Amino acid sequence: MYSEKIIERFVSPKYAGGLRGANGTGRCENEECGDQVRLYISVNDDNVITEAKFKAYGGVCTIVALDVACSLIEGRSLEAALRTNHYQILEEMGPVPESRDYTANLAVEAIRAAIEDYYKRKEKETKK
Amino acid sequence: MSKKVYFDYASTTYVSNEVLNEMMPCFNAIYGNANTLHSFGRMAAGVVDRARDRIKNAINAEKANEIYFTSGGTEANNWAIRGIAHAYSSKGKHIIVSQIEHKSILDACAVLEEEGYEVTYLPVDKHGLVDLGQLLHEIKNETTLISIMAVNNEVGTIQNIKTIAKIAHDYGIIFHTDASQAIGNLKIDVKDMEIDAMTITGHKIYGPKGVGCLYLKEGIRIENLIYGGSAERGKRGGTVDVPAVAGFGKAVEVAVRDMAVNAQKMKSVRDYFLKCVHDRIEFVEVNGHPMQKVNTILNLCFEMVDKESLLMLLDLEGIAVSAGSACTSNSLTQSHVLKAMGLEDEIANSSIRFSFGKNLTKEDIDYTVDVLEKSVAKLRSISALTKAGRK
Repeated sequence: MYSEKIIERFVSPKYAGGLRGANGTGRCENEECGDQVRLYISVNDDNVITEAKFKAYGGVCTIVALDVACSLIEGRSLEAALRTNHYQILEEMGPVPESRDYTANLAVEAIRAAIEDYYKRKEKETKK
Repeated sequence: MSKKVYFDYASTTYVSNEVLNEMMPCFNAIYGNANTLHSFGRMAAGVVDRARDRIKNAINAEKANEIYFTSGGTEANNWAIRGIAHAYSSKGKHIIVSQIEHKSILDACAVLEEEGYEVTYLPVDKHGLVDLGQLLHEIKNETTLISIMAVNNEVGTIQNIKTIAKIAHDYGIIFHTDASQAIGNLKIDVKDMEIDAMTITGHKIYGPKGVGCLYLKEGIRIENLIYGGSAERGKRGGTVDVPAVAGFGKAVEVAVRDMAVNAQKMKSVRDYFLKCVHDRIEFVEVNGHPMQKVNTILNLCFEMVDKESLLMLLDLEGIAVSAGSACTSNSLTQSHVLKAMGLEDEIANSSIRFSFGKNLTKEDIDYTVDVLEKSVAKLRSISALTKAGRK
């Protein structure tokens, strides 16, 4: 059902876990499938994502899609990270069953939600 | 990966040696068509008759001719639902089934609905038991058939079949049960339990795949599902698969013969497994009825862990389990059984089925619990769900 590439990444995701000091958290879920994900980012003063991590309650592809998402945005500017789309994630994942395509969208939503959360927090800080 | 452990016996079993020995001569020595009159055919017919007799005795049917061989449980279930509903359509077009039936019942009901029949899908309680009060409430003058599975394939809950059959008969309704998971686990006596029609399949009781039967009490009418020829007294077309039928008959006989011994062994295996799991892994719930269930099926919820991810980690270590019935595991839809039992999404999505069989050893269980403990811990460490808010 899944390629070796997917399985390898699922078994050893590089970006899985919490992120101490994260200043942006994206929380997303896919109600139909029951997946719930968190994507944490640490952004520096130059608006560059210095570190990204994720936690996921979901299937094999959900974990891989989030791991890929983190790998694509780490070290990139917020602007560049916002441009990440689900095609890039799917390309990096390699072939996945059609029924699991949605996981790439979930990962993109998580990136956007994390960046949005970062901006909201920053706005709050500025108001203080 | 070297070790392999199979925990999916409720999906299908291997073929036992006893059964295999029964089948072997039928491939190249007894190869006649059982429906022909010459000696080759008569020899094959003798094998088929013997298998029919074995099943008749195992379920205490009145006559061997009440057994109709099919290609398996799915065909028998399709046939019972559609064939009986059609045969009695002049009396009424309403049938009752439970929400937790196998897809081969539910999908056949969906086709009946397209044809203008009314189908009531009875709810179950949190343990998977059909509400008998609700059953009484749903019976109408037009009801012709009630079909309730004897044992649920996902959680192992045993229904009160005898009572349901009695209720059906009080109202002049035909009662069918899918006993695919029950044979070898429960004593099935069609006379004592007042069963009118019953599905059995071979491949869950150490018999071959692709063969099963429909028990149909004499006098119950049924419309054909498969036409063509005089096989099975003209009720089911197609040349009888003699090796499969021979193996199936033997498998049913052995399942019933060894039931008491196996029940004891399976209970010890299941209880030991569950004790080890509870001792070493936190936040594990058992789905299904606490007492009224078969010893061979254990449905466990590992909270905060996605079932597909857990199934994959176990599979990579050679351990085969099921994340629901095999027919639905390729889709993203939730288990209709756990949903009908009212389980929260997060419980249903974290539940997997372990089913036990004759070949499992203590070593297998110990190995599996080791892998399970590590896999659950790994997935929980990266889970977006937390213990907070859970009991």
